[in-house]
Amino acid sequence: MYKWIITLLTLLFLIGCDSKPKEVLNVYNWSEYMPEDVIEQFEKETGIKVYYSTYDSNEAMYAKVKLLESGGYYDIVVPSAYFIDRLRKEQLLHKLDHNKLKNWKNLDPLFLNKEHDPNNSYSIPYLWGTSGIAVNTQRIKDPITKWQDLWNPKFKNKVLLLNDVRDTFAMTLTLLGYSINTKDEQHIKEAYEKLKELKNNVRVFNSESPKQPFINQEVEIGMIYNGEAVMAQRENNNIKYIYPQEGVILWVDNLAILKNAKNLQNAYKFVDFLLRPEIAKRICEEIGYASPNKEAKQLLEEKIRNNTAIYPSKEIIEKATIPTDIGDTIRIYQKYWEKLKSEN
Amino acid sequence: MKKFSKYLYLFVVFVFLYIPIFTLILYSFNKSTYSVAWKGWTWSWYTKLLANDSLIETAIHSLILAATSSTLATIIGTLTAIAIFRYRFFGKKLLSGLIYIVMMSPDIVMAISLLVLFLLIKIELGFWTLLLSHITFCLPFVIITLQARLSQLNKHLIEAAEDLGANEYQTLRYVLVPVLFPAIAAGWLLSFTLSMDDVIISFFVTGPQFEILPLKIYSLVRLGVKPEVNALCTIMFIFTFFVVMVSQFLIKEK
Amino acid sequence: MTPSKANWLKKASITTISLWLAIFVFIPTLLVIATSFLRVGENNFVIFSFTLDNYQKILDPVFFHVFFASCYLALITTFVCLLIGYPFAYLLTQFSPNIRRILLLLVIIPFWTSSLIRIYAIKILLLQIERSLRFFYPDVSILYTEMAVLIGLIYTMLPFMILPLFSTMEKLDRRLIEAAQDLGATPRQTFMRIILPLTIPGIIAGSMLVFLPVLGLFYVTDLLGGAKNIVIGNLIKNQFLVARNWPFASAASVFVIILMAMLIFVYIKSINRFGGSRHEKVQ
Repeated sequence: MYKWIITLLTLLFLIGCDSKPKEVLNVYNWSEYMPEDVIEQFEKETGIKVYYSTYDSNEAMYAKVKLLESGGYYDIVVPSAYFIDRLRKEQLLHKLDHNKLKNWKNLDPLFLNKEHDPNNSYSIPYLWGTSGIAVNTQRIKDPITKWQDLWNPKFKNKVLLLNDVRDTFAMTLTLLGYSINTKDEQHIKEAYEKLKELKNNVRVFNSESPKQPFINQEVEIGMIYNGEAVMAQRENNNIKYIYPQEGVILWVDNLAILKNAKNLQNAYKFVDFLLRPEIAKRICEEIGYASPNKEAKQLLEEKIRNNTAIYPSKEIIEKATIPTDIGDTIRIYQKYWEKLKSEN
Repeated sequence: MKKFSKYLYLFVVFVFLYIPIFTLILYSFNKSTYSVAWKGWTWSWYTKLLANDSLIETAIHSLILAATSSTLATIIGTLTAIAIFRYRFFGKKLLSGLIYIVMMSPDIVMAISLLVLFLLIKIELGFWTLLLSHITFCLPFVIITLQARLSQLNKHLIEAAEDLGANEYQTLRYVLVPVLFPAIAAGWLLSFTLSMDDVIISFFVTGPQFEILPLKIYSLVRLGVKPEVNALCTIMFIFTFFVVMVSQFLIKEK
Repeated sequence: MTPSKANWLKKASITTISLWLAIFVFIPTLLVIATSFLRVGENNFVIFSFTLDNYQKILDPVFFHVFFASCYLALITTFVCLLIGYPFAYLLTQFSPNIRRILLLLVIIPFWTSSLIRIYAIKILLLQIERSLRFFYPDVSILYTEMAVLIGLIYTMLPFMILPLFSTMEKLDRRLIEAAQDLGATPRQTFMRIILPLTIPGIIAGSMLVFLPVLGLFYVTDLLGGAKNIVIGNLIKNQFLVARNWPFASAASVFVIILMAMLIFVYIKSINRFGGSRHEKVQ
């Protein structure tokens, strides 16, 4: 008995005192959101050990990063645009020195200098995509062109909505002709009333992996992220991705360096490495979302480059809106979201 | 006939418990990436998994953490349950109340308050903070299981031991532990289960350099559960299954 | 035996546990209670100014609706787990100690693989069942119904009922049962008057270990229920993370803890009275 306890404690001690490599980088990202061989190549080239840890939502990442503000635990995070906006306003991000990023020029200006981060002083676009409508054309023969089509009473119990308060409200606000970043409670309330009418049609709320209900034919029509739609298409050719007339929602995930990062120089090296065309291309191919790196786009196979589900036309991108931080108004959204879910 | 229906009942419950496991094992061999439709057999998820060092590393982290935290939680929990049962001391009611509070607190509340605590007392986040948190949330499960067993205990047993000149340690070692053993084992097993499965608390209290499996799996779902994860779960299931069964046979041999 | 040696273990265990709970439970709980009286800030999680608003906001009908819906799910889950687990645990005790131990391990081993992945597996199964049923009944729905959620919850929590029950039944005094049978008690009487009262501590422990965690299991309702409803664990988590309203979320969790403490108190009292009265009759 004692022998076991002593062995156990020694083992623990050994784990606790694990000898640490000198040059490290702590990356905080979605799981599997960066191919492992890309990280390995970086480690080999620079001798820097990358610790890659994961989170499952922007919100959880934000809470943790904010609480750990002065700890310097993480160097790089990969938030969506509206959380860049928030982190930036709360001065949690490091102001970038663009001269240190040789490959900055590779980025497509279409994705730079947006409202969530003017001049990109704090963030580097990593991957981007849109939310639109997916439809199983084998089951649904009517032409689908707009968000309003989801409300068609024919689709009772056949619709998928994203299980994310911002995404779903953004869709409804677009449909009603309001800004997706509105702070007016009246607009939010109207969107809630509108969504309530849709609830009868909804079979499932899913934002983790909306492709699966489509592939398994649990649903026939609904909201989806474009990358998910492309993957669904590979499994079932009848699934089509549609850019609704009312406008699409654009999302961008961005690399950002935290203000109190302990390994600042390594972080710059890593970001610059990820901006290399051939690396960005590999990430794009493996993850399945579009890269904002215009040089990388040129390297992609024509099949991917010309797939409008992945790379929509310039007009669609220019017309699309990006969700930005809405501050405390999120509580009003959340209030109506809870109401929507708890009512039958 | 009666015996048959008994076995049938046991069998049916076991089937209920194992069907999801068999399903995930089966799907770890499915060629299709995301579909539930069967598209043929393949080994490729296993070869992919073997190339995925980080997934395997986190699995090992998880096993080490679960084994240590459940063992320590069982030791502390057993002593606590016995202390509450046998002794009168100041603050006993409060102590029991706190144990229930652990169970009633939503995970997220415990997660954030523990993280704030660790930041206040300045412990570096990582293995140790995970260990402390896991022991804390496993404790009530051990204690409640033991208390149920203790309440049936014949108090004369302890008195008899004491009359025969056993000291506290001897009473514990030779009287209480053997009598309580089924409950102690149950407590350990439940703790191990909880520790292998906790997401929210672990997410907040761990540091960048010690990641455990549940976090990884949880985050993976964003891109869809790949059969790779099924393959990993299959390997872990078979591994734990054999370790447990072999250790059982070794104990029996003795 | 020297008295100093006798007390050593007692002191050590009381000190360890008191310190442990004081540091890792008492202080964090105080933090939560304190937060529940603070105001929420624009750029900070809390502002240090006193208010009772957060408790007032709990009176919102949405919150109550979610709370009672969650309790309802948790109650049914606990009850069904007890119904399945009780005879199962009892039958397990009928085997020889070696086989018994192996069977018990067989119960728990499946639960060492990620519950999220197992819930996904259940989802696949339910989908397949639904599909085959649709050949006969085109309109049937199984996945994304309350039924699916309950199946998932019962599956996830079953061992938490079986293990405590088993550990109280394992050393049940067989002589009492035999004595009752010798005295001509029917199986029903033996069960109601001997076995059940003796295993009440196990029932209480098991119910607690199932009921309390179920309230927080949000991913089962999300995955199997299609996230069409929220449970209390979900609501509090989202208030912390999405709405970033820590004071309100803290108040909500303090409130939930108090309500549950009351529920548990009533439950233990009533079941003990039931068990106690039966027991006395036997004597």
